[in-house]
Amino acid sequence: MAIVKEAYKALEAIVGSKYISDDPAICEGYRSGPGGYESGLGYERVMTKIPAAVTLPRNTEEVQRIVKVCNRYKVPYVPYSTGFYGPRSHCHVENELLVDLKRLNDFEIDEKHFYAVVGSGVIYSPLQEEAMKRGAYVIIGGGGAQASVIANLIGDGWSPLSHRIGLPHRRILGTEVVLPDGELLKLGTLAVGEDPFWGDGIGPDLRGLLRGYTGLRGCLGIVTKMAVKLLPFQPERLVPTGISPNTALALPEKRVKWVNYQMPSKEAQVKAMFEIGKAEVGGAVTKVPLFWRAIAKAESKEEFWQIWGKENADTIKNFHIVRVLFIGFTSEEQMQYDENVIGDIMKELGAVTRPTKPSDESWIKNADSAGMWLMCGSYVSVDYVIETLSQAVVHGESYADLKRKYTPPLMPDYGDPGWFQSFELGHQGYSEFLIYWDQDEDTTGVDHFYLETSKMNIKNRYYTSLLGPHQPLYLTGPKYGPNYHEWLLKIKDEFDPLWVCHPPVPLAHDAFVEKADWMKPVKDWKSPEVLKKVPI
Amino acid sequence: MPKKQVSLDVRQLDNFVYDMSRCIKCKGCYWVEHTYMPGVNFSTRCPSNTWNDFDSYGAFGKMRIGMAVAEGRLPWTPKLLEIIYADPLCGACDVGCKRNLDLEIELSLEALRVKAVKDGAGPMPAHKKVAENIAKTHNQFGSPHQNRKKWVTGDIQVAAKADALYFVGCSASYLNPEIAQATAKTLNASGTPFMLMPDEWCCGNTLYSVGMVDEAQALARRNVDAVKATGAKTVILSCAEGYRMWKTDYPKMLDVATRDLGFQVMHLVEFADAMVKKGTLKPTKPVNARVAYHDSCSIGRLADSWIPWKGERGWMGTVSPPLKRRRGTEGLYAEPRNILKAIPGLNFVEMPRTRENAFCCGAGRGTKEAFPQLASFSAKHRLDEVKSVGAELLVSACPWCKNNFALAAKETGNPVKVMDISELILASV
Repeated sequence: MAIVKEAYKALEAIVGSKYISDDPAICEGYRSGPGGYESGLGYERVMTKIPAAVTLPRNTEEVQRIVKVCNRYKVPYVPYSTGFYGPRSHCHVENELLVDLKRLNDFEIDEKHFYAVVGSGVIYSPLQEEAMKRGAYVIIGGGGAQASVIANLIGDGWSPLSHRIGLPHRRILGTEVVLPDGELLKLGTLAVGEDPFWGDGIGPDLRGLLRGYTGLRGCLGIVTKMAVKLLPFQPERLVPTGISPNTALALPEKRVKWVNYQMPSKEAQVKAMFEIGKAEVGGAVTKVPLFWRAIAKAESKEEFWQIWGKENADTIKNFHIVRVLFIGFTSEEQMQYDENVIGDIMKELGAVTRPTKPSDESWIKNADSAGMWLMCGSYVSVDYVIETLSQAVVHGESYADLKRKYTPPLMPDYGDPGWFQSFELGHQGYSEFLIYWDQDEDTTGVDHFYLETSKMNIKNRYYTSLLGPHQPLYLTGPKYGPNYHEWLLKIKDEFDPLWVCHPPVPLAHDAFVEKADWMKPVKDWKSPEVLKKVPI
Repeated sequence: MPKKQVSLDVRQLDNFVYDMSRCIKCKGCYWVEHTYMPGVNFSTRCPSNTWNDFDSYGAFGKMRIGMAVAEGRLPWTPKLLEIIYADPLCGACDVGCKRNLDLEIELSLEALRVKAVKDGAGPMPAHKKVAENIAKTHNQFGSPHQNRKKWVTGDIQVAAKADALYFVGCSASYLNPEIAQATAKTLNASGTPFMLMPDEWCCGNTLYSVGMVDEAQALARRNVDAVKATGAKTVILSCAEGYRMWKTDYPKMLDVATRDLGFQVMHLVEFADAMVKKGTLKPTKPVNARVAYHDSCSIGRLADSWIPWKGERGWMGTVSPPLKRRRGTEGLYAEPRNILKAIPGLNFVEMPRTRENAFCCGAGRGTKEAFPQLASFSAKHRLDEVKSVGAELLVSACPWCKNNFALAAKETGNPVKVMDISELILASV
């Protein structure tokens, strides 16, 4: 495997010999699997390759020049910020260049106007710490505190704290994007000057190139710089305590605290979230999968299974927690007001307040996504849905039903309908369904389940985020649109006529199904002719 | 899936295939633990991957490389050896990973080096020279063996027989007599009689660390037997690397539990902290300085006791019998801080990265010998952190750290003074 010598030399001239390598040992370090998000599944095994070369640019200009060289020599390339998002953010074709963006780590903060400008290599926890030093905060997405801020904001970007501020789009301000051909696109007010304060530019607005719902996995260019909105927080310090693995932020209880309420029924759980949102109180309102509680309690994988093994379908069915984060954004009195209001709501609904520690183990600064791999060693979220609170419950139950058919190889979760919560003060309900398995087992069932979720969504007319680069485009496209697949491919052709930017995304899952014999039994749609033309 | 027999034996890389295959690239091995993340500066804790940005230099890259080596897909090359050996094995990756997962990262890295040696590819030439020195002169510098006790001055009382045995180590014996002397005088000042090994040899830290496990095991057996022959109840060390060898790696190589060694292993900071609390060691002389403390890896996150384990891995990767993971929770974090805070006049200041998040000085475990540029980078990076808190004196609890920091300070013209904690204790009693 190699990229053409002339191209390599041209790239070396841009970044210097220290920041490019085609050594096999260097390239092996950029392998997607065998572990990680969605790894150990067919998609990872069939669709990912190790890069032929890796380069580490320092700034936007270098990225532009690299991309232009790739276009000149028809070298496929993939942008890579941290590599945490699993196979879909790794090389998919032979002789591909991996553009590792970790050196784009410039960071500026505008304290007066409450925004930070970050490069692609900046992750969440340093941004959160810098924000909190200045009385501000950001929402650390479920991807984790180790996720690239930019990658997360153009992909997912939500957490329980999205109760107050929901979808990430509005937190994306002035942004620089290197288009697939190397042209620099500036979004928002960066398009007309140096001030990135506004996400809205003078138009037309091309922010759709960044994400749509959950992003395009790097197939429409490289975001190199982004101004991110900071939100006002309370002023008291959250003090880190403990020795790893038992670390947490000690919370100033009159300004920040978590409270768990045990609800008498699922209906009461949803009603509580709705009423809390309606009253416009609380900093986060969420229900999390019950096995997350077992993860939090367990000190090892084996202990997790001891704890979780005591549960059954009945205990799960009748256990309804609403977890609320109180934040005294403006004052202690404001937080007391929130507590009183929520206390009244909970009393009316017959909730029981459960004791909680005055600390934050996850979500405010350390979104603890890595713990998802403790139980089984393999994990992926198969869907993110943002509709209404009541719809989130229905959606979760449908997933649980489908999942039963595929358990095993999926982890037994006794019908837990996943994670759901309030967004935008209850105007939206967020649902996420997570699955776990052991990748050393036969994973055919997991591959089938992943795809069957799309069919379930189509059949039940559920809206879903995992379209485009996450599922077969020609399975979902005709049903959601009805022509979004054609529209997406036209955009891809327009901006990336050579298909050098992370091919064959957004047709990668279509390609996977074509290449994997074991997927044939679940393939009941027509593959596109275009698959024959794109690099696979 | 049939159950698989596994153990923690680093002689077999296969024992760690599960661990390597389950790395998820969360980079908990690389970043400071997020709860303690100090901001955009000083945000990493992996010296190797901070020194070289390619993923292969981080544990997440090395786990993938380890899989390729285990499966015979990647031949040994100079670049591969650099990736494997340009690494102080400081344990930051191990505790970082084990905050959430049950993966044996440190042991996987050690096993990779053992395999490199077994395959005839490793260790690095500089390590082979150290091994030669140890074989010939019983110390890693090749200094004359008869000079080992030259540090003992007339004002130090060494007992012929005592419950406590001070194992001095190569560095303090030959390069840093001031540390050996300060430690001995501190023991004297506390009224604790101590003896020395009748014939002290190298602890074998570099040998074990670079994968020369057979040679290291022979030294471990020899040294443990020699201590047992003295009847000592406690072995005291002033060297962090030596402490880790005696407490963890000797039992590991000899397949016994630390508690079953037959004697207790203590670092000076444990001993001195206990003596200060007891009142037999009284720091009364003021040390008027703004002082930062550097947590040496081998008395911190690498300091957990060893418990032999072998068993089987089955459903969902669970193991039986139960395995208590070494997560770095036995680290000597409070003890040195207690001592420093007990010294009158001393203005103690914490750096942004402390305890299990500390940034390694970069000297240990064969790095300084084979990759001095990495050791130098690491120390200078840490000195920037010292500067950021305005400390005028940097204290550590290991001669390797002291020497590496002192050299880096000299090279950069940094006025910070570097001392071992034994010297500071002595200065105040």
